[in-house]
Amino acid sequence: MTPEAAIVLIVDDDPRVREALSELLEAHGIRVATYASAGEYARAAKPDAPACLLLDVELPDINGLDLQTQLVGAHHPPIVFITGHGDIPSSVRAIKHGAIDFLTKPFGDEVLLAAIHAAFSQDTRLRADRADLERLMARYETLTPRERAVLPLVVSGLLNKQAAAELELSEVTLQVHRRNVLRKMGAASLADLVRIAERLKIPVTHARHGAREA
Amino acid sequence: MAMLSEVTGTMSDEPTRAAMMVEAVVGNAWATDAAGRFVYITPGMLAPLGIVREDLNGSDDPAFGWKPLVHPNDYEAAAASWRQSLRDERAYDATHRLRAADDTFRWGRCSGRPVRDSENRIVGWYGAVLDWEAIRERDRELSQLVDMVPSHVWRLTPDGEPTFFNRRMADYLGLESTDTALGGLAELIESVHPDEVCMFRETLGRSLASGEPFSLRYRLRRADGAYRWMSSRAEPLRDHADCILQWYGVCHDIDDQVLTEEALRRSKHQLEQMIDALPINILSFDPARKLTYASKRYLSTAGMPGEHIQDFEGLAREVSHPDDFPTMFNRASAGFANSEPFVNRFRRRCMDGVYRWIEARAQALRNANGEIVQWYIVSIDIEEEMQAQEALRERERFVWQLVETLPAMVDCASPDGEPVYRSQQLREFLGYELEGLLDTNGSRLMQTLDAGVHPDDLAAVKKDYAQCLRTGEPYARRHRLRRHDCEYRWVETRAAPMRSADGAIVQWNVICLDIDAEVRAQEDLHLAQERLARASQAASLAELSASIAHEVNQPLAAVVWNSHACQRWLAASPPNLDRVHVTVERIIRDANAAAEVVSRIRALFKQTVAPHHRAAIADLISDVGRLLGDRTSRMRVEIETDVAADLPAVPFDFVQIQQVLVNLMRNAIEAMEGHAPKPRLGVRAVCDGEVLRVEVSDNGPGVLYPEKIFDAFFTTKQSGMGMGLAICRSIIESHGGRLWAERNRAGGATFAFTLPTHAPEPA
Repeated sequence: MTPEAAIVLIVDDDPRVREALSELLEAHGIRVATYASAGEYARAAKPDAPACLLLDVELPDINGLDLQTQLVGAHHPPIVFITGHGDIPSSVRAIKHGAIDFLTKPFGDEVLLAAIHAAFSQDTRLRADRADLERLMARYETLTPRERAVLPLVVSGLLNKQAAAELELSEVTLQVHRRNVLRKMGAASLADLVRIAERLKIPVTHARHGAREA
Repeated sequence: MAMLSEVTGTMSDEPTRAAMMVEAVVGNAWATDAAGRFVYITPGMLAPLGIVREDLNGSDDPAFGWKPLVHPNDYEAAAASWRQSLRDERAYDATHRLRAADDTFRWGRCSGRPVRDSENRIVGWYGAVLDWEAIRERDRELSQLVDMVPSHVWRLTPDGEPTFFNRRMADYLGLESTDTALGGLAELIESVHPDEVCMFRETLGRSLASGEPFSLRYRLRRADGAYRWMSSRAEPLRDHADCILQWYGVCHDIDDQVLTEEALRRSKHQLEQMIDALPINILSFDPARKLTYASKRYLSTAGMPGEHIQDFEGLAREVSHPDDFPTMFNRASAGFANSEPFVNRFRRRCMDGVYRWIEARAQALRNANGEIVQWYIVSIDIEEEMQAQEALRERERFVWQLVETLPAMVDCASPDGEPVYRSQQLREFLGYELEGLLDTNGSRLMQTLDAGVHPDDLAAVKKDYAQCLRTGEPYARRHRLRRHDCEYRWVETRAAPMRSADGAIVQWNVICLDIDAEVRAQEDLHLAQERLARASQAASLAELSASIAHEVNQPLAAVVWNSHACQRWLAASPPNLDRVHVTVERIIRDANAAAEVVSRIRALFKQTVAPHHRAAIADLISDVGRLLGDRTSRMRVEIETDVAADLPAVPFDFVQIQQVLVNLMRNAIEAMEGHAPKPRLGVRAVCDGEVLRVEVSDNGPGVLYPEKIFDAFFTTKQSGMGMGLAICRSIIESHGGRLWAERNRAGGATFAFTLPTHAPEPA
């Protein structure tokens, strides 16, 4: 996976705006892709690079704010809104839903560039996290069913003896599984494994002290 | 036994014994020898005459010695008869007078029979003399007796042939004689009434054959052809061998009795027929309440009372409906006990087991002493009536419930408007009963109105009521009415008269609906509409500005960004002049576009001035009056419109001037609210030379600053932008007119505007 240069995705129905913004950003050496409507944007293939979505609020097919709501949950670049006449309720709504900024036309290039860079760095971080998680998921996929059963017991803090009893295994066998889990998940230590399990949202099923009582 | 031996003892001397026997027999006897010479004659016959038997034999005629005894006139005939008998050897019978002891002659009958020996030779004669007169006397007496018996007496042979009818019967039948011309049995039968003749023949035949006594009632034809009822009885007379010798019978004329009986029977029959024909049941009870009679109709409907039914109570318990029995029986018992007539209505079971409603009336029959002899109970079937009544009651209940439960308040009033009935809903609404209104406090209608109708509505309501009661027109009005909890609620009252066949009002029917929620909802709706109208005005303004901003902003933003880009390209080293050239061209293009937008908007505004059309100001005023109608009526604003009849049509923008008038009138109404007890709004239109002047006046608090109020953002209202009058003035001025305000001398304010009668020259 070769990292591509960061890119700004402009969605605006006014060709003059697309043209002027593209010109300005290119003058700053930033890659640009433009879309005339939300539909066009949705259909287009997305570049595999950190990006910023520069979204006009007044789009012909859909309100930009509504598009933002639709995108919630999906992996999408951070959004910077641009509008002809910004009002407070709209901007509050946009920011609440995670927009980087809400810019009212006409605005200067410093403001724009600051927002775009903020978006880029946020997206870079998000992408890294996502990649990290995907890697862990891939590792988790390599665990055998028995090892997947061992994992939550181990990260719950149960002693080997307790975990073995829980799964009706010998302590020696359990220790073998435990070692394999650590290795396969790339965990350097038990603490590392606990952190990984948290990221994978593997539930802690047993509290160490509650185990006997249960 | 001693007597018998005594008698038999004396019988040893034959002749003496025979003489004694003969003499013991009542009457006179005689005996002669074959030649007719007396050998014996009852001594008692001769002794009174002072002669002896020898005197008789010694008379002139040796063969007939009766000469001393027989009346001289009869002697020859008697002697001839005797000689004849002797000669012929036949029985001798002669009737003649005989000498009696006092030397008088009495009729007698002398009979003699020859006595023969074993060789049939006559050895002598035996005879007897009967005192014919005595016999005839007895006979006559007997005949008289028989004839005088107030009855028909008759005698028949064993074969049934009549041998004797007494005089009465002969007379009845019209026969001449009692001995002769009796006619045969057939003739007698022929006299019997055709209806009974068969029975008569059969009964008589049976009696003749069997010897059983005969007894029959039949009609017998009288001589004059009339039939009369007879009661006839006959019994046979038998001899020693029990053979029937004669039938003796009597026959009573019982015609009168039969007719009476028949009349009685007919009358009884008619009575029974009548009782049975009448659609009533009759029962009678004796004073001990035992059932003594039940009419046929009763038996065929209720059935024969069972064996165990002893008295009235038993019967009542048996046939009356268990639910009705206690009341019915109590009433009856009281009636019986007090000897008073009583009436009961109850369900009685019929033979088919079905209960039907009946009405029973009981009355006692008293004797001369006033004691009760019999109780008579007459009952009639009232099932249909009861069902009809029940249906009627059911219907009444239905209608009543309908009225009481209608989701409306219902009221009925007499022709003069006095309430006579109020439904539950209305009573509950008012919180008092109709009876709670005292007549002493004057008319109930007025009391109700005074107590309930809102003071502000009262005068108008009373006026309308009075009008309707006077003219009979239906009433309809909305007003506020005080509920029991003292809350005034809007109601709609409608009343219509109910008339009799001749058109006179018999009742007013009133319905009253609680429309408070609707009225309030309508008010709310109005307020909402007004707010909406204002909001939409504001919204369209905001929209317009947004659209203008967008149109101008887009090219301006492009100019800015291109300028930044241009700057970037210039600052690069080396400067990218190609890109600079492109961006500068774009800057020029977009700046021009923005300028064009601005001039296009200006052009747009210029064209929105609508062409003016000539219109009648009167139409406009009435239009606005309608638009504000709800508001003026709600606030009870009296509008006085004074529009001159000959106003010329003037050119103006109808919508704009309408807006001005609405503004002025609404301002006036709002100014008067809470200030004027009787708000009055005057709208006046006059032609004043070259201009038309319209004035809107009120009796509100008036205006403090007649000129300042037309400035923008000036307002005296709590809520308001202070733009209305400024806009109005600009509209009027754009039409070439003037708008100003004045204080009224009598209080309040007048706003006036003018419109030129001719279109102003375009500015």
